[in-house]
Amino acid sequence: MSVENLKAYIESGVLELYVLGDLSPEETVQVEEMASRYPEVRDEIAAIEQAMEQYAMQNAVEPSADVETKLFELLGLNEEKIIEENFPVTPVPSIKTEEPKIIQFDNNYAKVRNLRYALVACVALLVMSVAALFVTYNKLNDAHNEIASLNFDKQKFAGVVSKLEFDNQGLSNMAEMNDSKEWATIRLEGQKFSPSSKMKVYWNKQNKSVLINYVAMDLPKTDAEHEYQLWALVNGKPVSLGVFGGDDKAKEALLKMQTIEQAQAFAVTVEPTGGSINPTMDKLTVMGGV
Amino acid sequence: MSALKKLTLTEPELVLALQSKDPAILKTLYSMYSSSLYGVISRIITHTELAEDVLQETFVKIWQSASHYDNTKGRLFTWMMNIARNLSIDKLRSKDFKNSLKNQDIENNVSFVDEQNKVTFNPDVLGVKQLVENLKPDLQAVLDLVYYKGFTHVEAAEKLELPLGTVKTRIRLAIIELRRNFN
Repeated sequence: MSVENLKAYIESGVLELYVLGDLSPEETVQVEEMASRYPEVRDEIAAIEQAMEQYAMQNAVEPSADVETKLFELLGLNEEKIIEENFPVTPVPSIKTEEPKIIQFDNNYAKVRNLRYALVACVALLVMSVAALFVTYNKLNDAHNEIASLNFDKQKFAGVVSKLEFDNQGLSNMAEMNDSKEWATIRLEGQKFSPSSKMKVYWNKQNKSVLINYVAMDLPKTDAEHEYQLWALVNGKPVSLGVFGGDDKAKEALLKMQTIEQAQAFAVTVEPTGGSINPTMDKLTVMGGV
Repeated sequence: MSALKKLTLTEPELVLALQSKDPAILKTLYSMYSSSLYGVISRIITHTELAEDVLQETFVKIWQSASHYDNTKGRLFTWMMNIARNLSIDKLRSKDFKNSLKNQDIENNVSFVDEQNKVTFNPDVLGVKQLVENLKPDLQAVLDLVYYKGFTHVEAAEKLELPLGTVKTRIRLAIIELRRNFN
């Protein structure tokens, strides 16, 4: 082919159509044959390609990021694997400088994932703690109730014990009085005012002291404004030996009254609180001679 | 992705890795060429979703038919660009595309138009773009049809009511104009 013909061929525009992929298979084969034979054709094609490539670069449009993700999914290529693998071709220096960035991203991702796990663990721990606290609170309530009921029982037993001690004191005294020759026991019987009442008065023959014993006493209860008064009848005249309350107010089973040198009888009347100078005879409760 | 964006390999390196089916090279190839190929596709197919489908199909085809590429017959980019252009034109003429146009509602169209305007330019060469836009109108019209609209030169001749030879000449003149600007 002459130089003129070659120039005409180049200028026909067929090479541009070749680069644009706008030729029939037969025409394409022809162009490739020409290119392999004439360096001018080859160079012209290369120049057209460069221009088209540049033109495409200038008019680049960024596709959305998920196209890449979908593409790699579609081809079944694992992206993580790709990042870890080294390039088989000689890598350009920029690969090495960019690699730490990728690792850093992975580290951050791992950090975030770890923090997520930690958050889940914290929530689980919180739930368990609340549950444990609830159970403990219930147990504590039960314990409080138990303590209260035990306390109540303790008070009840303490009451029983003090009552028993009170009775025991009285009873042992009664036993001693009976054995003793020093003490005289005077039985006081119920009178018209209260026929079923009775009590005992103990009179020491030597020091003349007088004792009464709540355990050895059966008198009706007095109201708040009245109490009992013990009298000794000395030659027909009543002498007060002191007042005493009902057995419900007594702290000790035994109560020491005033001493009396001599007496023919003892009697008890109901008097206003604090006692009277003279006995109220219609409220004579019990009486007994020595 | 931006980290990988700056990765560049020479064409022989790319071709070698591509033909040995190294998965890493697909990532490099994608970061190097996805936006310029998408630029070509999205000028032909203005519907974003379909254009992105075609971009994906383009890379699948590049990956699967890498062994068919013959570097004695032209540059790798020319080969890839023609795959993109052919798939775009096929899509444009498919039933799929015609249906999707009917289904577009007004709301989608608004964002769709916006997205079409999101063209990324390399700031270093903005001046070049300016020169390309200053192509003579009759050259620009032909280039638009064959490059952006996916027309063959025969179709362009019919569309512009010009003789086939004139269309071919104008394509050549337009590309020479581009070459002059880029060199």
